Amino acid sequence: MAKPKVGVFGMTGCAGEQIVILNCEDELMDILKVLDIRSFHTAMSKNDEKCDLDITFVEGAVVQPEEEVLLKEIRKRSRLLIALGTCAVWGGVAAMKNEVSRQRLKDEVYGPRGQIFKSIPAQPLHSFVKVDFSISGCPIEKEQFLQAVGALVHGDIPVLPKYAVCTECKMNENTCLLLEKGELCLGPITVAGCNARCLSYGIPCSGCRGPVEEANIASEVEILKEKGFTLGDIHNQLRTFAAPAEVLQTHFAKR
Amino acid sequence: MKKMQKSVVVDHLCRVEGHGGINVTIEDGKVVRVEMDIFEGTRFLEALVVGRSYNEIPPILSRICAICSAVHTITSLMAIEDAFDTKVSSQTKLLRDLLVQGGNIESHALHLFCLALPDFLGYSGAFTLVSDHPQEVKIGLELKKLGNTIQETIGGRAVHPVNAILGGFGKVPTKETLLRLKEELIKGLEEALTAIEFIASLEIPNFSQSPTVYAALGSSAQEYCLFGDKIIFSGGESKEIESYKEICNETVVPHSHAKQSHFKGKPFMVGALARVMLNGHKLNSEAKKAKEKLGLDSPTENILHNNTAQAIEIIYSIERSIQIIDEIVEKGIKDEKLVKIKPKAGQGTAAAEAPRGTLYHSYTFDKEGRVTKADVITPTAQNLANAEKDFRASAERLINEPEEGLRAKLEMVARAYDPCISCSVHLEKMGT
Repeated sequence: MAKPKVGVFGMTGCAGEQIVILNCEDELMDILKVLDIRSFHTAMSKNDEKCDLDITFVEGAVVQPEEEVLLKEIRKRSRLLIALGTCAVWGGVAAMKNEVSRQRLKDEVYGPRGQIFKSIPAQPLHSFVKVDFSISGCPIEKEQFLQAVGALVHGDIPVLPKYAVCTECKMNENTCLLLEKGELCLGPITVAGCNARCLSYGIPCSGCRGPVEEANIASEVEILKEKGFTLGDIHNQLRTFAAPAEVLQTHFAKR
Repeated sequence: MKKMQKSVVVDHLCRVEGHGGINVTIEDGKVVRVEMDIFEGTRFLEALVVGRSYNEIPPILSRICAICSAVHTITSLMAIEDAFDTKVSSQTKLLRDLLVQGGNIESHALHLFCLALPDFLGYSGAFTLVSDHPQEVKIGLELKKLGNTIQETIGGRAVHPVNAILGGFGKVPTKETLLRLKEELIKGLEEALTAIEFIASLEIPNFSQSPTVYAALGSSAQEYCLFGDKIIFSGGESKEIESYKEICNETVVPHSHAKQSHFKGKPFMVGALARVMLNGHKLNSEAKKAKEKLGLDSPTENILHNNTAQAIEIIYSIERSIQIIDEIVEKGIKDEKLVKIKPKAGQGTAAAEAPRGTLYHSYTFDKEGRVTKADVITPTAQNLANAEKDFRASAERLINEPEEGLRAKLEMVARAYDPCISCSVHLEKMGT
């Protein structure tokens, strides 16, 4: 069987997902044996800019009109398009204040010279193109990426957890930072897959992986208010990584 | 008569982090225009953190860049602690240093072996290089992994560390963990020394040679260090860290989303080569020998030697990491509680040497500890003006070279800076 043709692309972000792929030091050579990597600008020259691709990984958020065009071109070339990382899946940190006009931010940051480039509110990939599969995380977990590659080369759709970080944290028998220590922890509403990484260092979940399906935001907010946090602080934390997520937008709209 | 004009354009630089290009215009046999284009999108992160509480800042600003996330985190913590007069323990300082060394090893190994080395041997990347030079790529990946192991062990994650927080560490590593890490480091040092022999055998071309001002952090410490208490320059001048804005007098240029820096009207270079040129006399043991072996014990103004300087620093960072572990273990590792933070109105500034050069974070807070202004100056942003100077020098020297060759060599110059373009697109308030 021919190896699937693969592209790795970046919109705007910290390049974290591409770095995590390159961080698979022990597996990289095996990955090359099963994937025919045609485009991966961060790692190689002589990229094929035209060919059809079987599997396409895209990281980063769309923050400028040129990226929307590029993303749509990439979509046309791709059989499967996979969003990698919280920016691609949910908009990420760049989307935390999308309600503030980009013009105002440009004026603040670049002054009159800011007119030379265009900027749009940061959006996840699915705002522009069909996304076949999403692996969130800021950055993604290496194991989830490797499992996904394994499934995809066998023609399967990868399986990711549909429960919250809170569940992983309980299975690890950590002390509950939210209920017992009253810390601003988003574990109950954040999608699992990191094995409650921060919590095992005694650090509350900041929600970097984005919301779990059917997250009960209202209940989380109520608990945090009881613990003494202001709505402003709670909303700031909720907005940090996945503000464009529908479940959060619905919540903010009610306020 | 119509002028003979040609443009040499690198549309999309490959084997660098982020999105950028090079544009050189040659008219009647003279280089008339040189631009490094940065077309990475802007995220306005420094404007977006305004209004946020101090403890939310480091994890957000670490997202400026994945590959430099450890040093972004540490510099951010130091700037906040500076603003609130927080004094952390010597153990915390050592563990932070160790984390930053891990980032330095990982970043340098990725760049040197996987991104830059293919140029010197005529390959399109590590994926093709590996078929003919498996050993070198393998050593590169092993060293990269070593850097990541340090970041995972101390920072809790290889990218965007979670365990380094205000006032100390979420969880202090145990003695056993540190000693296991030391074993890995000792193994890694042996591999790195083998790699030095190989790097020493590479021919480093000198088409990009051009007068260069170097800048790095200097310190009163006897030993080479990735931290410091002032900014020093190759002309012998020095500046306070707090007055970094005088040198990073950033100019917005029309062809780029990043701003540019000059010192006394001249561009300057920051990074491994600048550090080795300015502080190299402080290197010890194997790193010192590597410096001699790689010919960097005498001054050079060839940016391609930034690659060799990174090789020297890999040795340094491994040796320093071992030294840190020895020191912590010898003193007896303590499960320290976090130093309590007492927010107050004011400003805090900190700097550290990131893999690509000096990194500055500076914040102003209101009395509740909310950010009213944030400023981050990254090394790649400082290097852009100097890179354009080197493109010009190279293009002038190679003016008769066929276009394809010239393009490849300009890419080599760009890549030598190990540019981190996500980092360079960063923001500061203008004119306030």
